[in-house]
Amino acid sequence: MFNLLKKDQRGTDKILSMYWFAILVIIAGGVFAMVYNFYGAPYDIRESESSLLANRIADCVSQNGKINPDFFSEGNFNSEIEKNILEECTLNFNVEKGYQNVPQYFFEIEFYKPEDLSAGVFSISEGNLNWKTDCLIKKENNKEYERTVKCTERRLYALDSGNNQYLIKILSGVGKSEKNVKN
Amino acid sequence: MYKKGNKKGEILTENIIFIILNLIFLSAVVLFLLRQGSSASVLEQTYAKEIAMIADSAKPIMIIKIDMEKGKKITEKNKLDFGEVVNVEGNVVSVKLDEGRGYEYAFFNDVDIEVYAERDDKNEYTGMYILTIN
Repeated sequence: MFNLLKKDQRGTDKILSMYWFAILVIIAGGVFAMVYNFYGAPYDIRESESSLLANRIADCVSQNGKINPDFFSEGNFNSEIEKNILEECTLNFNVEKGYQNVPQYFFEIEFYKPEDLSAGVFSISEGNLNWKTDCLIKKENNKEYERTVKCTERRLYALDSGNNQYLIKILSGVGKSEKNVKN
Repeated sequence: MYKKGNKKGEILTENIIFIILNLIFLSAVVLFLLRQGSSASVLEQTYAKEIAMIADSAKPIMIIKIDMEKGKKITEKNKLDFGEVVNVEGNVVSVKLDEGRGYEYAFFNDVDIEVYAERDDKNEYTGMYILTIN
């Protein structure tokens, strides 16, 4: 290699090979930087997680178009259900050690009568509701947006035992930015 | 480019060296790319998140098989027991493919998960992991 370079200095044609290797080194550096950047960033699965969470809550609230009877008590919405909504929907919001200071999930279920969609008749929420406003942030391609909670909204119609129709809005969100976004 | 130079006998050796160096460079880049995609840390994270999402969407009495052949190769290289790669404690999945700390990820579905590596008739690991959701 050294001999080759030494000889290359004699003719202009051979000097090209030196530049060729310089270009290779630059390309190698670029490839290394891009690959390191790509694999160094964690996979962000929060959108899928929040979608799964919303689906699970929808399955819990309504089955076959009928609202879960546990949400009612004596013909009215059961306000006690909020206390054990996690057990009711078989959810567990515990997270890995070191990330337990702040709840990493949240959800909100709102029931509306179709004739009045301006005000909900009943709502249930659980988890870190401070993140609810972050769900309204418009999608942007920057670091700050990536760190915000990822949300999913679902809307469905279901009937109660008296065949009264309700619009149910489910909003779910997953934080976990430390595990899904590069620091 | 080398027409004039090729008249000399010595230039053939230089050309061969030049081509060999190029080939070495290209193979090094390809090898680097392949190794990065299947490194232990990347696979640990991939498997942990994959299992967590499977757990989130699973329902009781499901049995799910996961192909972890790449992980098996890494554990064999690191002389670790493939049967101890995946652990589920409470609602946290941990995957460890080398001597490092491994990778943990939590799932929100409150189900009991039994996890074990599948073995064949010869009692050897097949590279598959089985999740039983209860």
